[in-house]
Amino acid sequence: MLIFSDKNVFSSDCSNCNYLSYTIINTVESMNVFCFFKPLDKRASHLYFFAMLFIKRSNFDQLLESLTGDYRVYVPRLMGDGTGYSLLGESDTNYEIGKIRSFDPLKSFYFLGREKVAEDFKPDIPRDDKPPCIVGAKACDLKGFKVLDFVFIDDEFGDPTYMKARKEGLIISADCTGVGETCFCTAIGIDPWPDSEFDINLSPVDDGFIVTTGSDKGRDLVESNWKLFVEEDDAQANAVKQNRDTVKSDVMKRAQEKRIPVADRLKRLIDKQYESEIWKDVSEDCVECGACNTICPTCHCFLLYDQKSDGKLARFRIWDSCMIHDFARVAGGENPRDRLWMRLRNRFDKKFNYFPEVLNEIGCTGCGRCVAACPGKIDIREVLARLEV
Amino acid sequence: MKNPYRSIEAEVLKVTTETPSIKTFLLKPKEELTFKPGQFMEFSVPGSGEAPFTPSSDSQIKETMEITIVKVGRVTDAIHELKPGDTVGLRGPLGKGYPLTKFIGQDVLVIGGGVGLAPVRTLMYGLFHMRKQLSGLVYRGGCRNPQEFLYRKELEEWMKRDDIDMKLTVDQGDNSWNGPVGVVTTIMDDIDVNFERAKAIVCGPPIMMKFATFKLQELGVQDRNIYLSMEKNMSCGFGKCGHCRIGPYYCCKDGPVFTYDMIREYPGIWE
Repeated sequence: MLIFSDKNVFSSDCSNCNYLSYTIINTVESMNVFCFFKPLDKRASHLYFFAMLFIKRSNFDQLLESLTGDYRVYVPRLMGDGTGYSLLGESDTNYEIGKIRSFDPLKSFYFLGREKVAEDFKPDIPRDDKPPCIVGAKACDLKGFKVLDFVFIDDEFGDPTYMKARKEGLIISADCTGVGETCFCTAIGIDPWPDSEFDINLSPVDDGFIVTTGSDKGRDLVESNWKLFVEEDDAQANAVKQNRDTVKSDVMKRAQEKRIPVADRLKRLIDKQYESEIWKDVSEDCVECGACNTICPTCHCFLLYDQKSDGKLARFRIWDSCMIHDFARVAGGENPRDRLWMRLRNRFDKKFNYFPEVLNEIGCTGCGRCVAACPGKIDIREVLARLEV
Repeated sequence: MKNPYRSIEAEVLKVTTETPSIKTFLLKPKEELTFKPGQFMEFSVPGSGEAPFTPSSDSQIKETMEITIVKVGRVTDAIHELKPGDTVGLRGPLGKGYPLTKFIGQDVLVIGGGVGLAPVRTLMYGLFHMRKQLSGLVYRGGCRNPQEFLYRKELEEWMKRDDIDMKLTVDQGDNSWNGPVGVVTTIMDDIDVNFERAKAIVCGPPIMMKFATFKLQELGVQDRNIYLSMEKNMSCGFGKCGHCRIGPYYCCKDGPVFTYDMIREYPGIWE
């Protein structure tokens, strides 16, 4: 195991980004290593190892156990035909990396549904938990971070708890190994395996995972636990590739059956169909429950409310829903989105028009959670397909 | 890391009843808190909630600020209960405010209506401070009836100034009223400025802003020179909570002052 020994690591200019790239030489053959930027990480080094390693499930259990000292480790557990997150306990190996994304969106751990954000007039940040470590995060949810980071991270008015959790948290992502009934990430231009925003990524293979590192933090984690890893073999590498190809083509097939317009047309379609009757028609099935907002990995709207406790100020930030009647109503009574169809249209406008305009990212990750959650059976895939007419 | 959700403690020094539903609160923040005309503050009564208001006092007064508030809902009900000596919270300043330096050398028209006269007061102080740098200054104010005029004494003093063309109107007059009767757009025809280049500021209830904007367009004011003080539902005040979106903008962060050309194409701007 020579991978991280200095004398076997050689640097050269990376052909992609002009920063240094490392080539790791082991006794048999050389392995090329990629590098990429991770704008969140302000450390001097922009380099990340993408060394391919194998970790046995039992060793991975051990790795997670060792993380519970520094992190709140959230693992996916089987719930019906999917997975949902909960905290990893002591000697706890009862988790499943999960074929597809969990029921709960990852924002739940970074931007809590209800959180105290200020007390009295004190400048302190009320929450001071250990940072979260999310295990088994899928590519769609990682794409959700691009949107949430844009919203919550900034110098002057950045959300302190979100920024802290993002900076100090650990993300152990994973390839999808199946396709959910409502999955359509490929239609949004996302592959069903993570390509950024993770610290380490797991590609499930027999008896364990092929591990890639995607940040300094991930590399440090692997380096300090190197005894738990071995190098991958060709059969494992092929298995990873084959799984990725199969899952991608399955998601694509499913998305194509739904006739979802290609990602780069979506913005223009919303503009073109802004005055369409589609919105009124679709909103007839909406019961204004806000489930689509709650479950969405990019929905970030919130409300601040103050609570009385001994006449003192306790300010909470709670998730809000743009589908609810009074969301945009002002105290004087005017409401720019008085009708339900206007609010439905606004939700699509925000995801497929606003975010592409201000961030150059679609505000939808193709996770399909809203399709599964909607009691009115409103299917975002079908709405998008109808816009194409 | 700075906590943007935290309010600064302030003491209520004085409460002035302007009309049965409008009060002005003189506040003394316990930490330095300055603002520019057009910026707003989140004002909170501990435990009862927060709401956004534009200060109505001279922004050059650093130690205190005045905020004029209409009683319209839960938070403002609690605010109207406040007495001198009470503790409140202030969070801000938020938003961008008026680009006063762009007004240098220009004719400036200020159109205010109803409770919109409160933020306009801050702006007027700002404009009076730079009056020598302006080519002309016009003020047109309107209210439903004479009792609704805020800061009437000040308005009367401004009327006497010779460096401003000022007129006030009411929708419905009474015995005390000698001035014109009609909505604010009916006292805009005699404005004598270079409309092609003039800067116009409109602040008031949505319906008044809408018709004042159309009137200004009719007079020849450019859309990019019409500054509208927009009112939207705002919670955080810094572009994160999502409530006040207007197209690609957030009213709180990118406004609340917008030029008409920035927002004219987006639906619901007058509501």
